[in-house]
Amino acid sequence: MNTREAATDLPPGETGGDWIHEALALYERPLLFYAARFCHDRERARDVVQETFLRLCRQRREAVEERLREWLFTVCRNCALDVARKEGRVNALTEEQERRRGSEPDSATRDVDVRDSVDHVLERMKALPDNQREALQLKFQHGLSYKEIARVTETSIGTVSWLIHAGLASLRERMVRSGQLGTGREARGLEA
Amino acid sequence: MSSENDTKRRAFEDDPRITAYALDELEGAERAEVEALLDEEPAAREFVAELREFSGVLSGALEAEYASGDAPLLSPAARAAIHSRADASGAVGASRPWWRRGRLIAASLVGLAGFGLAGTWWAQTQVADGFLVARLETAAPAARPMEQVPMRKSLTLSSPDGSIEYDLPALVQMEHADKALAPGEEVDLEEVEVSLVTNDPELRLRFMERARGLVDQTAGEPVLGDREVRMLDEYADELGVEFHLQPRSSGEGYDTILENDFLGVQRNPISTFSVDVDTAGYSNVRRFLRDGTLPPADAVRIEELVNYFPYDYALPKGEHPFAVDVEVGAAPWAPRHRLLRIGLRSSPLGTADRKPSNLVFLLDVSGSMDQPDKLPLVKQSLRMLVEEMDARDRVSIVVYAGAAGVVLEPTAGDYDLAILAALERLDAGGSTNGGEGIQRAYALARENFLEEGNNRVVLATDGDFNVGLTGEGELEDLIASEASSGVFLTVLGFGTGNLQDNRMEALADKGNGHYAYIDSLNEARKVLVGEVGASLETVAKDVKIQLEFNPDRVLAYRLIGYENRLLAAQDFADDTKDAGEIGAGHRVTALYEIVPAGESLAVPGWSAEFAAQQARTSSEGNAAVTPLSGLGELRLRYKQPQGTESRLLTQPLDDSLASFAELSDDTRFAAAVAGYGMLLRGSKYAGTARWRDVIDWAAGALGGDPGGYRTEFHGLAIEAQRLSAQRAERVKDR
Repeated sequence: MNTREAATDLPPGETGGDWIHEALALYERPLLFYAARFCHDRERARDVVQETFLRLCRQRREAVEERLREWLFTVCRNCALDVARKEGRVNALTEEQERRRGSEPDSATRDVDVRDSVDHVLERMKALPDNQREALQLKFQHGLSYKEIARVTETSIGTVSWLIHAGLASLRERMVRSGQLGTGREARGLEA
Repeated sequence: MSSENDTKRRAFEDDPRITAYALDELEGAERAEVEALLDEEPAAREFVAELREFSGVLSGALEAEYASGDAPLLSPAARAAIHSRADASGAVGASRPWWRRGRLIAASLVGLAGFGLAGTWWAQTQVADGFLVARLETAAPAARPMEQVPMRKSLTLSSPDGSIEYDLPALVQMEHADKALAPGEEVDLEEVEVSLVTNDPELRLRFMERARGLVDQTAGEPVLGDREVRMLDEYADELGVEFHLQPRSSGEGYDTILENDFLGVQRNPISTFSVDVDTAGYSNVRRFLRDGTLPPADAVRIEELVNYFPYDYALPKGEHPFAVDVEVGAAPWAPRHRLLRIGLRSSPLGTADRKPSNLVFLLDVSGSMDQPDKLPLVKQSLRMLVEEMDARDRVSIVVYAGAAGVVLEPTAGDYDLAILAALERLDAGGSTNGGEGIQRAYALARENFLEEGNNRVVLATDGDFNVGLTGEGELEDLIASEASSGVFLTVLGFGTGNLQDNRMEALADKGNGHYAYIDSLNEARKVLVGEVGASLETVAKDVKIQLEFNPDRVLAYRLIGYENRLLAAQDFADDTKDAGEIGAGHRVTALYEIVPAGESLAVPGWSAEFAAQQARTSSEGNAAVTPLSGLGELRLRYKQPQGTESRLLTQPLDDSLASFAELSDDTRFAAAVAGYGMLLRGSKYAGTARWRDVIDWAAGALGGDPGGYRTEFHGLAIEAQRLSAQRAERVKDR
């Protein structure tokens, strides 16, 4: 149905693969971070990221270049889900059970007296439901925009907006409550 | 997330837009709105500052984790494999794009027959047959099969020099299947959406060429800016076409509607369509207006606006479950044309006659439903419905939010407390997986199937259908096959920003049910309680209407609305072709604008060449089997709810000499609503109608106004007038 117009326009001396080498250098680590959270398993994460870049090799450069980051995260996520499904490790029900567990108020949070604020935040994040945590990660750790996150996770921008809003509110509230974060509001006390 | 026991939460704390604003994710109109809010509430501004500070803390923490993290890198072997594959692929040919990488102008596209698509393919950006298409890519091979999108006709595009051909289905699919789109495609403009209303490919081509030319001229990023928009506006005037310009609505999905044109009777003597009693379009448009914005043109389905109101048509008396009521008079926006108003009315069922119902509520309780206009409203709406039920009925509740759960086993309808308690316990949270839930719901419905009853799944959602296990095509198949075995589906839409209007309508369609949008308790009362017989009880199914016009009396006609209900002439008698349902107490209204024979046709889009074609074929015209008199003949086919063979009614269509003022209140009011719809769509067929006229027509036709809906409409028309004037001002000021 679709015909391709074949033409080779590469300037002499440049191998078409350079951009992939660059992409690998730039995104190997971020993708591994992202995949690791998804797969809960480092080896699998590596497989997934490798597969992602192998697929990238099959793309035409101009096709993907402008949205490279989004493409990489999307494909990485898809691969991770495929792997998980193929291994039957996750079906919709267990995924939900994990989420439910994650969203139960304090059962997953340890009450260790941690001083470092970085650890505070990371601890609290673990207690968030998976999808909120993923959205926060993509936004604040990987710097994706709402629109990009929506495309990567295949939901709508409205949902992403809500997830980030809810996740932030949840984190803030827990941290305020446990005194790890002072806010102007708290200083003013309970307010009508 | 929201706990009421702590501090009293201020409204802006629960508004995701505030968060989005704090993170610099809002633009355009939304951003302006929030800024206005912040100007009014200093406390909100402080809150934004706090949010920003906190997000800084969060970023810092995550970045620190990343920096210090010991995520193992890929093994050297893996990296080597990637590098060598990269080098091997270096020789892949690059194609020359016909158009510099730019943004897509969303053209009004013809709808198409649905089918799925998978695998690797791409398209170039080009102008072909007037459709401007962006570069579209998928990952290779497709990470998941492309989801199907319901569409209507098919078209093949070829490039101006004929060297490349595209199947339009594929392109339209990419355009609309927002969830299945892979990265790499460019579909929407940052600020505006441009859509052109015309069937004429020539005009479209010229318009798009001009648009392309304008974009090419801009320096730097190719974006349609104010100046370009104004120039396009002027150009559209030159061409005599209408085009819309509206802010991009985020997250909501509407099928493009290409308005019905005038059709000449010589070539198209027969008009056929399926009835529709969905009313979601009206309440959805109302929601936009109440929120202070004009709706996107594609959300305005005129037949749904007109059908929202209870008209006082004659009740059925004979053997058929409904009566037909026809009226003809002058069209108020084109005085030399006639307006033909067709009305159907079925008898309302007394509660004693009401068939018992077996209802399974399938409720979306995903996180995004946790807003006041969503889950809480769902609960209240269903509560009202349940109160109308009794011991003969069965109610069950199934939720979907990642896991499918039966929240209430089938319970007799008079056990109010048990049912209401189950509803109360519902809470939003988690993500959505509609697939499992739907299967469970249908299973429950079948287990409790009432032979002589009304068996239905009532789906309430804000638009999240993440059907993880089933693709959309499979979902539709399931719904259709259940409907054919007697379990129908009604879809209720709630909330804003995520409404998958097109999908919901399509699903309701497949499920032999209908789709309503519930934006308030009043609407819930109207849809669920007031029409409980109508909503749930089908008295006739596969109802089709066909008109054959008499070429001696009629030159041309235009069906107003029903664009996505059109049928081919031969589908009318074909009982295997599905159509819409009529429930007890329903009214259905359809409007035609008719150009009498002898009039010259001065309507937009009717080019001289087309008119010449009409003249040429007049001598070889399709003669009706029996000669028609008057304006022509109206035919109706329907099946009984459990029947398989259709029954036919026919009725002659006579003209009257009535002026507009002499028409009944109902017809004049319906005309006002049609006018409102056409103006909101920016239709080129609105004739001489202006907002002032629509308001006057409505005011003059309020009649008894049962339920107060007409008065409400009058108010909405005034609001729409105000918003249109505002927008016109803004465009001028650019």
